[in-house]
Amino acid sequence: MAGTAIGDANHNRGCTVRHGLRRVLAAALLLFMACSAVAADKLVVFTVNHPLAYFAQRIGGDEVDVHFPAPEGIDPAFWMPDVSEIIAYQQADLVLLNGARYAKWVDKVSLPQLKLVNTSTAFQDQYLRGDAGTTHSHGPVGEHSHGGVAFTTWLDFSQAAQQAKAIAEALARKRPELAAEFQRRFALLESDLLALDSEMQSIGQRARGKPLLASHPVYQYLQRRYDLNLRSLMWEPDVVPGRSSWQGLQVLLREHPAQRMLWEAEPVSETAQRLTSLGISTVIFSPCANVPDDGDFLTVMRRNLEALSSILGPDG
Amino acid sequence: MIDSVYIAWRYLVFNKARSATLVACVSLIAVLPFTLDVLLNESERQLLSRAETTPLLVGAKGSALDLVMNSLYLDDQVPELVSMQVNDEVSESGLANPIPLYVRFHARGFPIVGTTLDYFDFRGLQVREGRSLALLGECVLGSAVAESLGLKPGDRLLSSPETVFDLAGIYPLNMNVVGVLEPSHSADDVAVFVDVKTAWVIEGLVHGHQDLLKVRDPTLIMERNDQNVTATAKLTQYTEIDEQNIGSFHFHGEPQAYPLTAVIALPADAKSATILRGRYVSAEKTTQIVEPNEVIDGLLRNIFRVKSIIDSVIVVVGLAALLALVLVFALSLRLRQRELNTVFRLGCSRYTIVRLLGAEIAIILIISAALVAAVAGVVSHYDEQLVRLFLVN
Repeated sequence: MAGTAIGDANHNRGCTVRHGLRRVLAAALLLFMACSAVAADKLVVFTVNHPLAYFAQRIGGDEVDVHFPAPEGIDPAFWMPDVSEIIAYQQADLVLLNGARYAKWVDKVSLPQLKLVNTSTAFQDQYLRGDAGTTHSHGPVGEHSHGGVAFTTWLDFSQAAQQAKAIAEALARKRPELAAEFQRRFALLESDLLALDSEMQSIGQRARGKPLLASHPVYQYLQRRYDLNLRSLMWEPDVVPGRSSWQGLQVLLREHPAQRMLWEAEPVSETAQRLTSLGISTVIFSPCANVPDDGDFLTVMRRNLEALSSILGPDG
Repeated sequence: MIDSVYIAWRYLVFNKARSATLVACVSLIAVLPFTLDVLLNESERQLLSRAETTPLLVGAKGSALDLVMNSLYLDDQVPELVSMQVNDEVSESGLANPIPLYVRFHARGFPIVGTTLDYFDFRGLQVREGRSLALLGECVLGSAVAESLGLKPGDRLLSSPETVFDLAGIYPLNMNVVGVLEPSHSADDVAVFVDVKTAWVIEGLVHGHQDLLKVRDPTLIMERNDQNVTATAKLTQYTEIDEQNIGSFHFHGEPQAYPLTAVIALPADAKSATILRGRYVSAEKTTQIVEPNEVIDGLLRNIFRVKSIIDSVIVVVGLAALLALVLVFALSLRLRQRELNTVFRLGCSRYTIVRLLGAEIAIILIISAALVAAVAGVVSHYDEQLVRLFLVN
């Protein structure tokens, strides 16, 4: 009898536990469904670089679900997504493009045209054409070259503000009921970007005429907007330049005696030491095309400006 | 009564040729106007349903009918080309959403439709097998194409050269089949869908090859100087696009200048449609905007004008055939005079003889009606395919 009573008690306890588990599971399921419903209401936005993702997140807030799937450490301009990532882009509500032929993969995949937003359309007549390079000809199309357009448009912060405006307008077209909120958040972002623009203008004034070097030709819009006397090399931060590169630099320094060199990322110490021996100090000015290790677009740009400002000194 | 029918039936069976001729005459007279009516109604339905769901079409000035037939029914007659700029103009107007179309090339007899993924949403096309387009060089097949060519996702489909004499022209593209669409019972079933950029690859405007600045083989270079490298004909362009060579594919010039056959414009509302149409009124414009519904209406008016003529002809021919039938019966009565006299002498009344003849006519009419019903059933069942085979395409 006693055994039966204990068995019943265990059975009852087991039932209670099972009921409890069921309740927890049901609650979790409801929570998951609720979250899914909320997520389903959100605008799904895919971008081709981090600055656009940052702008979209700032403007869209909790009403958008922003995705930028490029793996870390890769330059998104030369990234090629795989088929599953392309399908994810296809299923988004909006795909934000940088324009200026940025992210060449966009030309090689199928994306729904009606979801694409070229954020730099407003200033596309001001794109900087890069060095056209050597032309070549074959087949029926005749002579042509693959020289490109400078694409780091956001390093001109006034252009970045225009790109942010295009994002705000695109989001408002998709969610007209939230247009006022998007506009309010855009105004805050715009003031941040214009503050950067203003600060960079003053740095540009201090650096006016002073020769500067860039490790890579990615600062064309920065140079144009802020009137920098900048010449670009084709050096990679993680690769020690070869003898011919150093010789090329020596030749360049004769006509462009720069003492400061902008790098996208920290160069290897050997390169930095050799540059120092040539009287050239390095300054990190990250274009922040991919997600930074710490901070966001704005903090990275503030860091860039501080670094550039400090290396120029109080009077340039 | 049954005896009369039996004797009439035996008589008709005995005179098979005459009976068959009579049945054929009666059936043809009845079936012609009916099938014509069914087929024309179906063609009207097919033409109109597609035209009604396509609000506006922008293309080069010229034959509006060619433009509509090529864009909506994938007709082989290619209209004058426009540039991608036209697509961008529609988009930038803010009045309508554009969907570009480049319907010019073929693959094993089926039209290749170069467009964007928006076309699939617009026409409500669903992928039955595989997936939709993702990479350059891929194609999705209409259900009839897949069935006819026996292709499935993972197979390859080669584009056809525009003319057999195009020996020095571009290489055909070996496309990767990635999906098959659900049947849509429209012209889309007989289409091979590619991204518009893949259509430009087929044309040779977008292509991939070795980097001429890096090639080592001197036989590939005809001339090289500081500004230009000219390749020899030995330089082969890639005829298949895969993960290894997709990076080498590039545009020549600005994509805005690349060709299209038409742009479908989807206006936000009637007001936007009217404003957009107004922008193409200028005589200086090299492009036109048409409402496919109006164009197809005009076509159908002509078809139905022809139909009314055919109807009149059928009535006249039918009357002539009826008179011929009466004559055949009258002559057969004269030929059967001896036989009828024998029947009369055997004791049958004139009424019985009339009943016998009536039964013969009734049997012929019933067999004809059955034949007409069978043909009508077949035509009604396959009207969609028949119209697509004979009228639309």
